[in-house]
Amino acid sequence: MSALDRYHPPAPGAVRPFDFPPVETRPLEGGLPLRVARLPRLPVVATMLVIPAGEAVLDERHAGHAVLTATALEGGTLRRSGTDLAEALEGIGASLHASAGWDATTVSLTCLADRLEEAMALLAEVVLEPAFPEQEVARIREQQLARIKQREMDPGSLASDRAAELIYDAAAPYGRPAGGRVDSVSRFSTAHAAALAAERYKPMGGGLVVAGDVDVDEAAALARASFAGWQGGARDGRGISVEPRARHATVHVVDRPGAVQSEIRVGHPGTAMKHPDHHALSVMNTVLGGAFTSRLNLNLREKHGFTYGVRSRFSFRRDAGPFTVSAAVATDVTAAAVREIVAELTRMAAEGPTEEEVEAARDYIAGVFPLRLETTAQVAARIAEMIVYDLPDDHHARYRERIRAVSRADALAAARRHVRPDELTVVVVGAAAAIAGPLEELGIGPVTVHLRPG
Amino acid sequence: MSLHVPWERHTLPNGLRVVLSPDPSTAVVGVNLWYGVGSRNERPGRTGFAHLFEHMMFQGSEHVPKNRHFELVERAGGSLNATTWFDRTNYFETLPSHHLELALYLESDRMGWMLPALTQDKLDNQRDVVKNEKRQRCDNQPYGDWDERVQAMVYPSSHPYHHTVIGSMADLDAATLGDVAEFFRTYYVPNNAVLSVAGDFAPERALDAVARWFGDIPAGAAIPPLPGQPDLAPRIGATVRDRVRADVPLPRVIVACRVPTVLDPGFHAVEVAGALLGSGRASRLYRTLVRERRVAKDVIAYVFPLVTGASMLLVWATGYPGADPAALEGALVEQLEALATVGEEEVARAVALTDTRFVRTLEQVAERADLLSMFTLLFDDPDRLNREMDRIRAVTPADVHAVAERWLGPDNRAVLAYEPAA
Repeated sequence: MSALDRYHPPAPGAVRPFDFPPVETRPLEGGLPLRVARLPRLPVVATMLVIPAGEAVLDERHAGHAVLTATALEGGTLRRSGTDLAEALEGIGASLHASAGWDATTVSLTCLADRLEEAMALLAEVVLEPAFPEQEVARIREQQLARIKQREMDPGSLASDRAAELIYDAAAPYGRPAGGRVDSVSRFSTAHAAALAAERYKPMGGGLVVAGDVDVDEAAALARASFAGWQGGARDGRGISVEPRARHATVHVVDRPGAVQSEIRVGHPGTAMKHPDHHALSVMNTVLGGAFTSRLNLNLREKHGFTYGVRSRFSFRRDAGPFTVSAAVATDVTAAAVREIVAELTRMAAEGPTEEEVEAARDYIAGVFPLRLETTAQVAARIAEMIVYDLPDDHHARYRERIRAVSRADALAAARRHVRPDELTVVVVGAAAAIAGPLEELGIGPVTVHLRPG
Repeated sequence: MSLHVPWERHTLPNGLRVVLSPDPSTAVVGVNLWYGVGSRNERPGRTGFAHLFEHMMFQGSEHVPKNRHFELVERAGGSLNATTWFDRTNYFETLPSHHLELALYLESDRMGWMLPALTQDKLDNQRDVVKNEKRQRCDNQPYGDWDERVQAMVYPSSHPYHHTVIGSMADLDAATLGDVAEFFRTYYVPNNAVLSVAGDFAPERALDAVARWFGDIPAGAAIPPLPGQPDLAPRIGATVRDRVRADVPLPRVIVACRVPTVLDPGFHAVEVAGALLGSGRASRLYRTLVRERRVAKDVIAYVFPLVTGASMLLVWATGYPGADPAALEGALVEQLEALATVGEEEVARAVALTDTRFVRTLEQVAERADLLSMFTLLFDDPDRLNREMDRIRAVTPADVHAVAERWLGPDNRAVLAYEPAA
């Protein structure tokens, strides 16, 4: 046997082709589009109903109400109580989960393939005939108020919530917590839930996604039987503000006296999902802070040991969600960590990534694509995204090709346009007595110290 | 429904157990290694070391410089990680299937040639990273010390599960390069590991590649016995309590009980009991405490699947502002005791939900590989993967009644209560 060369990684084998699974579309009468991906690998089916009822278009007084209404769907239907509903679902091994995000409400359901008929009927019953009983609505309201209290005392959640608030102008919905604030949540009642569902739980602008061991005709027949007569609606109107709070760099410390760690968030408004720079930004951000071997992580974690991990992220939404760098660092290195983060952002905005970094990032993004499409629920979620963000039919099918086409010049242009070191909002939740002075000395911008809530 | 996940098992001359589970319906492959070492093997004064060691395994090996391991896997479009637990440490990669051999190369290099790349700088760097992990997960987190407090009550100070996986800051500070080398030579040997591969590959060629990359690694000595006193009375012997006033937002009560280990045939009934208590919205805790009586904001039931002496079943309830911890404890205990009368239909529902979740778990090659490693390391039987659900389905209401009577009573409870500091 010849000696093994351990200094060089082995050559890869023959590439196994992978394509995004074909999606068949069937319009149902009433206007609910059906999209089906047949995945016969295991006898499971994931179903997602996308409803055009997101948080972003609600006014401040109703902040959180789309989230609360979706959650309150578990309270039961006109035909059965919440407990009866849970028993009916779980008796056939099905799980139902309803949630609202900024841009849509999603009701997802997974079950074994041979229980799809019963499960689909229950899914439709939950959405088309919700009862919102007073007692259940009251419970969900109280739970949400308790959750708000928890978020205020959890340093990471507090940092994320305050960062959003300090990044965006007061009129921008993305500046508030998606689950609402104490006053708007306290206002939530059965009447609010019923009104929101009556107005916005409509098929137009939404869609039903089915991925798994089922063929399109069977899925269409089941969907027709369950959703017959459901009609109306329209996409959410848009035109929300995504203005920043300031056009210059600011530093905010939210005081947690004695904290052993600081939660850092650094960012500014980012871009919308459908921005033409989307793919170039994904490549650039992978180099910056989107992978383990990103510049930020190798610097703050592997070189300096400041943190367990640091990430940068563009929250792509229908409108410009935030671009944020997040890390939790030891108290005594807080200013040094912020300095390194700002330095990496400045370097990226000035020079962009190197040719080699762009190549590595393209390979990474294209390569992990099939890893994130292993399960029926993952495939269903990707198809649902196409509905939520109104993406072209070939978005996923041509995703890797578009990533591979990103050049260093594209990534540099994206970095220059979308990373703005002079407009950063720096938010640090930590021990102000220990960190405010050193942060001031960095000279990034004026430092404001805030009391912690409560 | 019966499962037929294919598998074949081999053992290399150096003792490495290899499980191969091909699945041509996917384009990815999962590689998973279970080493039979975890926090239970740590000696006094070195708590947290197994996990710190796990970090050191990513710092390069003789033929792979620092950061190169991550760079190669990410460049190949792979994901990777590792976790440390009481009884084992696992390392795993998922990759587009044509990069299978890359994972074998990297895993073999650190199994065989980790020590030549070890430096004090790397240890100091990862010690800082791990201390920040502890701060982020525990010290800077409301309720972040719950597991430390619960384990200290459920397991006596002489038992290997008395301390947490993350360990103490002082012990992390005390760790030396010598400790790393000794731990490596003692536990990171092929005869203490299972390598599983699941997904798109040809078994014969994969086995060749495994033999090529791992075959030269010498077998190690037999694994030394656990430190401390692993034997344990089946029950705690009383209701023991720990009451904490802390910087937490809401009152929370955790009740933990010693239950049979995963190696015990009675463990499946414990799992079903856990599902009846906390799985889904028709479960006992959610239905009564959250929905009907509205005494809890959230509830959890969880079974720690452990090997040494006793596993742990735990339930917790988070109250609304101002809630009385004694009332939360009473409500939790009432539900533990009520399992003694659970009926056929309710058991069937818990089993149905578990069934679907198990099949969904198998959608991911990484999960398949991890389960195969587990069943092989713990039971020397990869086929338990295919029969696991049959065992769960065989659990009867009488089995669950027995769990409640034997293991969930007042002579076997540790109660941890958090109250917000004023």
